[in-house]
Amino acid sequence: MSTQRPVAILPCNGLYKAAGGVTREVAMELAEQTGGEILCPVFYRVADARYNRLAAERPLVVLDGCPTRCASKLAAEKGLKVAQKLTVTEEAKKRGIELADSLRLDETGRGLAKALAAALLEAAAAESAGPSVAPAGFPEHFDYETYRKDKFLFRLPKNTGFFFTENDFWVFVNGSRARVGLTDFLQQSLSDVLFVTLPPVGSAVEQFGELGSVESAKAVSEVIAPVSGKVVAVNEALTTAPERINQNPYEQGWIAEVELTDFAQDRELLLDFAGYFPVLKRKVDEFHV
Amino acid sequence: MSEATFMGVPRHRIDWSPRIDYAKCNDCMECVQFCPHQVFEVREDATPKLIVKTPENCVVFCRACAKTCGVDALSFPDKNQTTARIKEIRQELTRL
Repeated sequence: MSTQRPVAILPCNGLYKAAGGVTREVAMELAEQTGGEILCPVFYRVADARYNRLAAERPLVVLDGCPTRCASKLAAEKGLKVAQKLTVTEEAKKRGIELADSLRLDETGRGLAKALAAALLEAAAAESAGPSVAPAGFPEHFDYETYRKDKFLFRLPKNTGFFFTENDFWVFVNGSRARVGLTDFLQQSLSDVLFVTLPPVGSAVEQFGELGSVESAKAVSEVIAPVSGKVVAVNEALTTAPERINQNPYEQGWIAEVELTDFAQDRELLLDFAGYFPVLKRKVDEFHV
Repeated sequence: MSEATFMGVPRHRIDWSPRIDYAKCNDCMECVQFCPHQVFEVREDATPKLIVKTPENCVVFCRACAKTCGVDALSFPDKNQTTARIKEIRQELTRL
């Protein structure tokens, strides 16, 4: 994959747990294969000018060993835009791999590192091949009701076809297709969104299951699916411009499109505009006391 | 908060909150710092130091604190069973 653009890679320090050691190995693999450069997290703490420039010029890959997410937190602290990221413990779990306790990598650790580097390169190549978004009968015009509290303004679409969960996600249903996203209230509670993990196209999701995640400087928040079905499209634009969620979570900030499997069942635990608007008002009043 | 509901069901009737595996928990308190709903409580001089104090404050179907846990010590009830139970209770309530 020598045609790959050189990347900047920010691994975790790798001296705390075995999973961290894997990030170092992935980093070296990516650096070699793309002619990229590794940002040392320890050095970054004491001198950041050169690394800031590198991270701005090249696609940045952030590698966390465990869910403490030291590398992600450092990237957030430095205000870096993240192109790709992964957490080794999660990837190991997905692949059914048990990592040893030792900081020295064994055969399993090195094998996982190779596989992860290959997957990252493949995903980057697929993305540069072009997005594949096919919108399905989405409204041209949005009719918003608003609720204002102090300087905060919360929008909620009134268009027929919109439904909401009490967890503050929306779904717009058109026949057997639905589009899903976060409400304005949730978006504002999270503050600036820095990274979005989209669900895999083709994957199945159940109502209240996980449909990717959204990460702000504060925290990682799961996208809790308001409906069940199969993911048929994702909003690829969010990978390079996660701030679209903050700009408008109903229009350019949608997350995914789902082919519905049992909307009649799902509908039971959804609210329409009239049902959700009072919930929104109550939450806003309680939140900003 | 006694009148709190989720989808019309009294919150206290829905069993959804984190379970702490004390064999794994290392008292790092990342989950406490993360959760904005005061679900956890830190008891400085007690063992265990971390407890789930107000489970009914936990956002139904939110599992975000488990993701912040470096040692994977937090787990949640089964989502499908919880969904089914909520629907059952809703049916009971409409029959009254």
